[in-house]
Amino acid sequence: MKKSNLSVLPVILWLCLFLVVPMLIVVGISFMGRDDLGNVVLDFNLESYSRFFDPLYLGIYWDTIVLSVLTTGLCLLLSYPLAYYIANAGPKMQTWGLVLITIPFWINFLIRTYAWVLLLRTQGVVNNVLLDFGLIQEPLQMLYTKGAVLLGMVYTFIPFMVLPLYVALDQMDKKLLEAASDLGASRWKSFWHITLPQTKSGIMTGSVLVYVSTTGMFVVTDILGGSKSSMISNIIQSQFLGARNWPFGSALSVIFVITSLIMIALFNRALTSKHMKTKEGR
Amino acid sequence: MKKMRWAGLMLAVMMVLTLLSGCGSSKETLNIYSWADNFDEEVLKEFEKQFDVKINYDVFANNEDLLAKIKAGGNGYDLIQPSDYMVATMIKQDLLEPLNKDNIPNWTNISDTYKNPSFDPDNKYSLVYMSGVTGIAYNTKYVKEEISSWADLWNPEYKGKVILLDDNREMIGMALKKAGLSNSTTDEAQITAAVDDLKTLLPSVLAFDTDNIKQKMIQEEGWIATVWSGDASVIAQNNPDVAFVIPKEGGTIWSDNYAIPKGSKHKELAEKFINYMLDPEVSAKNYESIGYSDPNTKATPFHTEEYNNDKMINLSEEELSRTEWLGDVGEMLQVYDRFWTELKSGRE
Amino acid sequence: MKSKNHPLLGIHSLIMMVFIYVPIAFIIAYSFNSSRLAADWSGFTFDWYISLFGNRHVMEALSNSLIIAVVSTLVSTVLGTISALAIRKLGKKMKVGFGGLLYLPIIIPDIIMGLSLLVLFNQFQMPLGKITIIIAHITFSMSYVHVVITTRLIGMGNQLEEAASDLGAGAWQTFRYVTLPQIFPGIIAGALIAFTLSLDDFMVSFFVSGPSSTTLPIYIYGQVKRGISPEINALCTILILVSVTLIFLAQFMLNRGKGQKKQSVLPF
Repeated sequence: MKKSNLSVLPVILWLCLFLVVPMLIVVGISFMGRDDLGNVVLDFNLESYSRFFDPLYLGIYWDTIVLSVLTTGLCLLLSYPLAYYIANAGPKMQTWGLVLITIPFWINFLIRTYAWVLLLRTQGVVNNVLLDFGLIQEPLQMLYTKGAVLLGMVYTFIPFMVLPLYVALDQMDKKLLEAASDLGASRWKSFWHITLPQTKSGIMTGSVLVYVSTTGMFVVTDILGGSKSSMISNIIQSQFLGARNWPFGSALSVIFVITSLIMIALFNRALTSKHMKTKEGR
Repeated sequence: MKKMRWAGLMLAVMMVLTLLSGCGSSKETLNIYSWADNFDEEVLKEFEKQFDVKINYDVFANNEDLLAKIKAGGNGYDLIQPSDYMVATMIKQDLLEPLNKDNIPNWTNISDTYKNPSFDPDNKYSLVYMSGVTGIAYNTKYVKEEISSWADLWNPEYKGKVILLDDNREMIGMALKKAGLSNSTTDEAQITAAVDDLKTLLPSVLAFDTDNIKQKMIQEEGWIATVWSGDASVIAQNNPDVAFVIPKEGGTIWSDNYAIPKGSKHKELAEKFINYMLDPEVSAKNYESIGYSDPNTKATPFHTEEYNNDKMINLSEEELSRTEWLGDVGEMLQVYDRFWTELKSGRE
Repeated sequence: MKSKNHPLLGIHSLIMMVFIYVPIAFIIAYSFNSSRLAADWSGFTFDWYISLFGNRHVMEALSNSLIIAVVSTLVSTVLGTISALAIRKLGKKMKVGFGGLLYLPIIIPDIIMGLSLLVLFNQFQMPLGKITIIIAHITFSMSYVHVVITTRLIGMGNQLEEAASDLGAGAWQTFRYVTLPQIFPGIIAGALIAFTLSLDDFMVSFFVSGPSSTTLPIYIYGQVKRGISPEINALCTILILVSVTLIFLAQFMLNRGKGQKKQSVLPF
């Protein structure tokens, strides 16, 4: 007990120094004022917080949440079978699978996203293929749409979903599944009652990582969405840069961090209670 | 097994050594902070050789990043390249060192058009590096009418094919110019009217983009766009169908400049560098390679004919006379920002 | 061992791999395109590869990025593993607090993290450079590693560890022979995420970098204004080829002549 508390000390020290202290500075700035040059001045007020309730910013935050939930859902649906496949492949294939999925993401994010621009543009490959096969008569406008943004987001965050899912699936007790099939349970039933509950920690971690990363990502909206819609992180960034309003940017960040923590807690609870129910049902 | 552990240890030691190396160079260094590929590489190497110094060249992506970084204490740079309005802001915030012109005798080579600009009246803190004017680029394959006014962007025939710069002040400034007003007005009613006008343009907009507008016009995704003159030249070289015009209402002129940030440890060397870059021959070689307008009047004979004849690089006196710098709008920046967020939120 | 995968799963996985690799194939193809800006194919060339090796700025940025990624991955993997193991033994309240704290670096917007760390380093008079970037990367990567390993630990329980210590195994022995092998896939996954994040981070690195510590993402973002050079495509192509080869070699070396595969994956 004592020993393990000691071993965690460096981590706590590290986080206090490089995370808690800077965060406290941000919280402090969020209550301050500014002069016309954009310098932060000592003048306690809540103006930056009340400004968030402008329907414009609330609306943008709502859009951000909707897009992030959609991205997380799609990522989960696409990644679960893939992670399942990898976890059940031979040991050599497992390492290969993981690495092959991760390597493309060592390529710079901008370069990867521009590659999607080349694919999706009106005279791009996807349109040309569709035209050649006669599936469409006119090139589709795929770029600079909400769909393109969603596609880019899902693509960007796939490894954040696959890796945690793999970690959970790999450890699943396969004897349970065998027992279930011996008892005549259908594949679907045993998946629903055994596999899914056993891998909920992976679902939880993957979903949180993807959800949080999506809310914080805006370059995809700029490049694939043509900057025609904004994410909350666009606004935060522009308050620190173009608009030179650090207090408002800090207040937005504080609100953002707190709401994200609440979302994570809610999601965690929902997942746990669902698991409880299935357990009782058996 | 043991061997593996040793290999790991060796690897760690090697890493620490590589981390520490890099710090030991005895030559004087010039730390440049600018956009990537902003200079001709050979010109930089020649400077290193001539003055027996080392150049460290680090990069930022836009003016706002630069300001936030310098303001929050990011230092160690000797020469930075902020744009016009950013020079004004940095002077106000006391972030720049005055230039010692005695070390930069070549500064007199700069064309009068770019001397003593409104953002730095006596060139006390900055000297122009390159400049351009925002105008309209359009693809003559699709745009058959003669383009002469900002109002032509509103033509319903180009619906879904208009690209605007992803820049708050530039675009609201454009709508203000269209209405015959100053691009830097601080009159809220004028700004509101301009923004309402821009809202009627929104359904026509394919995308907002500053950095990749070149590619979008070359690839003919957009038919008509607000584009900087230097970029227009690049587009026209890659797609000869694209033409460029400075609308009759006039456009916004911008420049990137040399400036020395407070706290520079090699100020004199930075000044020597600016002077070197303003040497007519060096200047010609540099701008030939980066393809923007050369403000150095003595460099013209060293340029190729092709460069001197490029109308998009070398704008006429008449075109330049219709331009206006973006001025600092003070606290009104918050109003501009709120409107811009609204325009781009994709709501309503 | 017989594979338990349904053929439909195989097809889905194949499609996903194609989805992941199609843009990569494009990047590789365009590294041989002779035009700098045009999207259309304008002729095959090796020029970008040749000029890449002559471009000292790219090379410096690449070596900075690699050093930072390797060091920050190593340190954050160790710290993240320690914290994931330690959090299990904390009281309920401490667990929630500490867990929340570890989620923070994942949630905090990049720009906040970058700017606040810059202000902090400035207060400490710490010269900006590779070291400050490494510190920043460790701070966020550690959380990802922690979260992924925790995923593993939740499903594991501590019966095995308890049994081991009941049988008289010391703390180190229990860790080495019971805990570590069980959480190893989590460590690998966490390290992969940490490495990927570090290699790709722009915003945080930008603010805490100093003279001559430009990383590859900072360089590439700086290039956007003039148009990203196909040299970068060439570089990405080489990076992919080198990583695949290295991993293949490592696998080959580890598996050669060893019967027990799971064991040989561990380096000690």
